[in-house]
Amino acid sequence: MTQPTNGSLLQPDYVPGEPVERHFADADLVWTDDEQKQIATFRSEYPTNDGAVMKVLWMAQNKFSWLPPDVIQFVANTIEVPYAKVYGVATFYTQYFKEKKGKFVLDICTCFGCQVCGGYDILHYLEEKLGIEKGQTTDDGLFTIQEAECLGACGSAPMLQVTNGPYVHNLTKEKVDGLIVDLKADKMPGFQSVTLPQDETDLGGNRRSDTEAVTEYQTPPVSETIH
Amino acid sequence: MAEAPSLITGESKAGDWRNYERVILPPVKDLHKIEVYEEDGGYSALKAVVKDGKFDPAALTDEVKASGLRGRGGAGFSTGLKWSFMPPVDPEKPRYLCCNGDESEPGTFKDRQIFEYNPHLMIEGIILACYAMTIKTCYLYIRGEYIDYVHHVQKAVDEAYAKGYIGKNILGTDFSTNIVVHYGAGAYICGEETSLMESLEGHRAYPRIKPPFPAQSGCWGMPTTINNVETLACVPLIVNRGAAWFSGIGPERHPGPVLYGISGHINKPGVYEFPTGMLIRDLIEVAGGVRGGKSVKAVVPGGSSTPPLTWDMAKDATMDTETLREAGSSMGTAGLCILDEDTDMVAFTRRIAHFYHHESCGQCTPCRDGTGWLEKLLSRIESGEGYTRDLDLLLEICDQMEGRTVCALADAAAWPVRWGIRRFRDEFAARCKADSFASSEQGDGSVEAQPVL
Repeated sequence: MTQPTNGSLLQPDYVPGEPVERHFADADLVWTDDEQKQIATFRSEYPTNDGAVMKVLWMAQNKFSWLPPDVIQFVANTIEVPYAKVYGVATFYTQYFKEKKGKFVLDICTCFGCQVCGGYDILHYLEEKLGIEKGQTTDDGLFTIQEAECLGACGSAPMLQVTNGPYVHNLTKEKVDGLIVDLKADKMPGFQSVTLPQDETDLGGNRRSDTEAVTEYQTPPVSETIH
Repeated sequence: MAEAPSLITGESKAGDWRNYERVILPPVKDLHKIEVYEEDGGYSALKAVVKDGKFDPAALTDEVKASGLRGRGGAGFSTGLKWSFMPPVDPEKPRYLCCNGDESEPGTFKDRQIFEYNPHLMIEGIILACYAMTIKTCYLYIRGEYIDYVHHVQKAVDEAYAKGYIGKNILGTDFSTNIVVHYGAGAYICGEETSLMESLEGHRAYPRIKPPFPAQSGCWGMPTTINNVETLACVPLIVNRGAAWFSGIGPERHPGPVLYGISGHINKPGVYEFPTGMLIRDLIEVAGGVRGGKSVKAVVPGGSSTPPLTWDMAKDATMDTETLREAGSSMGTAGLCILDEDTDMVAFTRRIAHFYHHESCGQCTPCRDGTGWLEKLLSRIESGEGYTRDLDLLLEICDQMEGRTVCALADAAAWPVRWGIRRFRDEFAARCKADSFASSEQGDGSVEAQPVL
């Protein structure tokens, strides 16, 4: 794979219309050797160039923290797919950030499993605590709050996800306070294994011995907003 | 024709479930590690089939068909039958298997436990399915939110490659297959099989019109089969213990072990493994009963798109496709949400409508616009600004959505609203204002009979 040349990167001859909006300098829009190797692996996994789009967009988002048009153009050039196609994919999926977000994006699940257990209470508590509304970012650029659709952890509701990464289960207001303190100290929560209720009887707790953080399923808190 | 006897008997169809021995998530510590899995008899089904020739591909498909295994992803289609739809092998044409681990249906969180606790069972099932259909590549599609679990699965896949269970010349035979772990980026629609394939190809995940069905023209236009994670995890069990063992678990027409995800107002929420055909009552009992000792108002038996059941309808019903259909809902993904007596059904239904509005891919107008109107009207009712006639308008919108789109998302969005209103109409009506101008005088002194929006 060839590294796209930066001179023609953002204004290649074949793209009509206005040049794409710039947020990063040419010098930043390069892949390291390791990343190039990774991209080559991704491309080999699919029969067409398009197949690797999603994985390379993820790589770009992890590297640049969001996907402005120039990064999308960069991805398009990397895997030799038209800009419009990559833009189409990037805008279809919610986890790709098309706007600049805070350093920590808190996706609070409020879908019905969490709703009935207090997902909205947690959302409103965070809004109050951080002084912003859902969809907004704090002035210091640290936190963005988002209302998420079902994140697939209804058994340990209410829960949230930190920046498309670790899940934090069985939330309470105290737990949220602790999380915010940790995040301000730049401490991301680790992976939490959630026990199976049947394992608690059969195995005396969690079945994994190699995970530090273990959360037990617990009786969900009473929601203040749905009743 | 004599009327068939009712399936809602109030009797459990799960047999001796209190002494049920778990098989998908057996109580073995650290089963996610390949050494432990092998010690527990893991990959023996693969050895027996691929190396020792216990079944040839056609016989394996027949065995799965005979077991009565039905898809665990929601539709409940016979897995063996689905496999037999694959056209004869054409050496010129690649064929694909997609393992659907998108699991975005609200109320569903079972596949996540397989990814974390028993990924090798799923991997073994994938390879066996590839063998049965002579497939050389499997794409394992996991939703983007599960990125931590993607890493778990990737590690398990790498271990299986290192041990020679996946890759070229599996166990020294001439059978080769590869597994590629693919992850999404947050779109419910990717759980729909044709849209999953679009996503895999690197496009916007717009569902395709069927036919052609994936077995004829799937990923990159090639023959493709799509199975759920839990479905494939059952395959090694069927090989090891036989189709008769599998079909002997639970009710005859929908047998096998199932992961029930129980959530909502329940004391011990979580994933429970039991036979199909469990009484909803019994499941609530094993999950510790309803929080605060309250009574149940409604049960959503299989994820957000299955119509909610009132307690009267649910209390004698069992968890299998036929019985739940008679009860007025469907099995879906077996993700039960239990709602207690204090639940606000209007807020609940509004939140489901919000979900579908957010997740509609926007390809078909009835769904793109319909989901939006459902949400708007329900929000209006929730805030006390709605009118009684809005309820009929909602039902009319549902009529306009169901069956008029490329995929079933519009149906899935309409059902909980339609049945929510039908079954809890009093609660909805109590939040509505009386019709504003049903009998209001017009400018000319006449009375308008029919309210028109």
